[in-house]
Amino acid sequence: MNAFEYATALSPDSARSLVGNQGAYLAGGNDLLGLLKDYLINADILVNIKSLPGLNKIEPGRRHWTLGTLVTIAEIEDNAGLAQAFPGLHDAAMEIASPQIRNVATVGGNLAQHSRCWYFRHRDTVCLKRGGDLCYARESDNRYHSLFTGNTCISPVVSSLATTFAALDATAIVLRNGKETPMKMDALYHRAWENPLAHNSLDPGDLILRVEIPTSRRSSAYMQVSDKHAFDWALVSCAAAADVVDGKLAHPRVALGSISPVPHQVEAANQFLNGKTLDDETASAAADMILKEARPLEHNAYKVPMAHALIRRTLLKLKG
Amino acid sequence: MSSWPSNPKYISGSVKRVDAPAKVTGRARYASDIQAPGWLYGMILRSKWPSAKILSVNLDKALKVPGIKAAVAVRDAPFNVRFYGEEIAAVAGTSKQACLDALRAIEVKADVSKDFVVHESDAIKEDSPRVWEDSANAGAPRAHNKGDAESAFSECAAVIEGFYTTPVLIHNPMETHGSTVSWTDEGVTSWASTQGISSVQDGLAGALQLDRSRVRVLTDFMGGGFGSKFGPGAEGVLAARLSQQAKAPVRLMLTRFDQNLAVGNRPSSFQKIKMGATSDGKLHAFQIENYGTAGIGAGGDSGGGGGGANIPSPYLYKVPNYRVSQTSVAVNAGSSRAFRAPGHPPASYGMECAMDDLAVKLGMDPLEFRLLNDSSEIRQREYKTGAEKFGWKEKYQKPGSSPGVIKTGIGCAGAAWPGGRGASYTTGEAQINPDGSVEFRLGVQDIGTGTKTVIAVVAAEMLGLTPEQITVKVGDTNFPPGPGSGGSTTCPSVSPVVYDICANALQQLQAKSGLPDARGDNWFPACKKLGVTPLKVSGQWQEGLASGPAYGVQFAEVDVDTETGLVTAKKIVAVHDCGLIIDRLTLASTINGGVIMGMGYALYEERVMDSLSGVVLNPNFETYKVSGISDMPDIEVVLINMPERGVVGIGEPATVPTAGAIANAVANAIGVRVYSLPITPAKVLAALGKVPAPVPS
Repeated sequence: MNAFEYATALSPDSARSLVGNQGAYLAGGNDLLGLLKDYLINADILVNIKSLPGLNKIEPGRRHWTLGTLVTIAEIEDNAGLAQAFPGLHDAAMEIASPQIRNVATVGGNLAQHSRCWYFRHRDTVCLKRGGDLCYARESDNRYHSLFTGNTCISPVVSSLATTFAALDATAIVLRNGKETPMKMDALYHRAWENPLAHNSLDPGDLILRVEIPTSRRSSAYMQVSDKHAFDWALVSCAAAADVVDGKLAHPRVALGSISPVPHQVEAANQFLNGKTLDDETASAAADMILKEARPLEHNAYKVPMAHALIRRTLLKLKG
Repeated sequence: MSSWPSNPKYISGSVKRVDAPAKVTGRARYASDIQAPGWLYGMILRSKWPSAKILSVNLDKALKVPGIKAAVAVRDAPFNVRFYGEEIAAVAGTSKQACLDALRAIEVKADVSKDFVVHESDAIKEDSPRVWEDSANAGAPRAHNKGDAESAFSECAAVIEGFYTTPVLIHNPMETHGSTVSWTDEGVTSWASTQGISSVQDGLAGALQLDRSRVRVLTDFMGGGFGSKFGPGAEGVLAARLSQQAKAPVRLMLTRFDQNLAVGNRPSSFQKIKMGATSDGKLHAFQIENYGTAGIGAGGDSGGGGGGANIPSPYLYKVPNYRVSQTSVAVNAGSSRAFRAPGHPPASYGMECAMDDLAVKLGMDPLEFRLLNDSSEIRQREYKTGAEKFGWKEKYQKPGSSPGVIKTGIGCAGAAWPGGRGASYTTGEAQINPDGSVEFRLGVQDIGTGTKTVIAVVAAEMLGLTPEQITVKVGDTNFPPGPGSGGSTTCPSVSPVVYDICANALQQLQAKSGLPDARGDNWFPACKKLGVTPLKVSGQWQEGLASGPAYGVQFAEVDVDTETGLVTAKKIVAVHDCGLIIDRLTLASTINGGVIMGMGYALYEERVMDSLSGVVLNPNFETYKVSGISDMPDIEVVLINMPERGVVGIGEPATVPTAGAIANAVANAIGVRVYSLPITPAKVLAALGKVPAPVPS
């Protein structure tokens, strides 16, 4: 890797001023250190944020729960209260990487992680996302890429937490220009749709401080399919959340990962499901709506039936 | 002729690995742990082009990087590189980072205007770019025929046709390739991660133009090879040259990235099979056209032999009429090497899938169909034993008839391995000390299968001692030479030698001590009579104590999710023979490993080449997917002990039938064939007709 400076920040503001416009925040480091070692990114300074006070807490609340950005995936997995309040979040955490990685990986790092596109990650294929002039995936092997492909870069969002937070309508609180800026998941990833160089909408120096998850959806579920049974990226992931009152869905939301650069949500489907009693037919109709605009590529059309099945199964896991 | 003891105490028992404590505590020093005094890191610059003419390699800037002590080009420019990842130069320095910096400072000028081809199906076409300027990519087809296949098909009651394909696999042992090499005025010492200390010695002596006697190779522990680690490799020779230049030992272990590019692979196969049987269920006609790629060429640096794209066909079955035609197709990718049972896993997969497909067409139970057509008495016995354990009769359902969304299926397949007989040139020695301690020295190496334990078990049995009382030393070319660990030969090579050493030792000890039987309780009193001079005895391989070939069958049960395409292997019953069992624990471990590797072949593993850039797209464990603990089925190993056959090797057959058995179980579950390995969710959904057409952009 290239040389960099290293500093430990003791407050969010000092972290922001240390990181400048060419630096990077270091928490779990799972993604960042790999990117640096593979010479895929450069940072002139790494600012260790692991000592920032108060950002490693899981806090229950009446209107929302708060997850500090330094909360680890293992802590999400192990927190019984969280598992009860948001079963989908618990299940999503369980599917992330391996136990060793979950022990150090953080909420903020999971949300901010970069593309896993195998062209982006390969040292000798300089693709659009690295400033090249070609999307190799679109022309060549796109088996792991997006189904929603009307944009330029077709590498999908792979954060399981982002998918789940989208379904739970959670808000990331981002420190931007000294101000706490709330961002829902669509806002947090919107730039990845528009700009092939971006993985998310964060500007240089933006720091995710915490995520607030509304308690209004008491039922939630998460499922994914990978080639392998564990420690493998999702081919498709799906999260759903709702309140189930007298067997009927109230303000339901469905989101999918690994099929679009942003967590894929279709508002019309959420509205269609609202007030409905769940059965196979309703879930299937919702899945149709969610996948209607899919434009599969040469090698990834299998994700369409897979996503359809996952949407139905995840919805049917929602319990009253 | 010699024979094994009839009521053994340790042989055929369950003895724990003698080096298990060293391995689990980290005390065992693998090649990658060696830290010779003053050692340097070594690293290799590889081609970032799949095909190029290297015009010049300038190392000046690299040599100026702080900490860099040596830099060499693989040869004088100009030269051609023919695959992504081919070696261009190497550096040695005091830190990894210095080496990384130096690699980036090497200036390479190249003509990259040459076209390349990385997929077999493209390379086989007439108008494809050529990998080698002077010859077509596709070699002349090799044919062998019997009877009259063409007319025989018309006499068949049922005929099937299928195009069964298998991908290129990477060996990916846990320890990557590499060594520490020290080249001084006295000669070369290589601490190598190898499965053939003698072949590394030969390779280094040849490449460095040194007498063999001036090259010593040491391998106390090594982390797997599977056929890809017989020679020193380009990396071993480069380490030596760097050491010579730097005047210091150089440790050059490949990165996982390197590992996936340039140190061997299992060739692919594209098997177009037509097969027919008569109404009584007898195979009558068979035809195969197969091509596969061994990369730029087969057997690069493969002391183990094999590694080409051809497969044995029609494999296990005696078909009266057949036509076999095979072609090896060159592509711009790293060359193949022997890979655990070279040729057999793809052969078993293609043939055993065709067997099931034909059985279905005949309306027969696939197991019954095999019993009708497999002439091996041992496999017949194994099929019957395995079927009982597995519950074949109770579990078998017509293809696709399992109810529900998640469907269960079963399948089976057979193996053959012609080797496993042991190398008759194997030798060894033991030093018996007056205090009764005894050290066995054999110039073989333990590839991880438990060779040291095998030696201890046989010695303990013969001398009436316990395995713990035997000191075993292997992995040093100063010891009496033995074979490389390949072809399932190590156990049948060393066991007879140890037998002979022990017989000679007892004879001499008895003569010297006057005791009629120096075994067991008499061992120490007998040794004491040696006075101050240790007894040194040697031994040769003995006829009658080892034989071959090996057989083996496996049964698989899977669940297939017909909505997501995910296959879950639930149960594998692996029934294997290897003549006289030496140690049940190491044996079961080898078979478990074979099944796990076979599962990877069936469901997960595949080298992905990119036709646009020519690179290997998945040179890491993120996307080169190997079986993990959560993927494991319940593996039941059933051992058939046949002491009358002597010792037979088992490494290869254990991995041969797994993929065929799993593929057949998947076909049985869902009622349609997935014709291509690995059987991914995407391919299952496609076989079920559930995948829509892509939308043109």
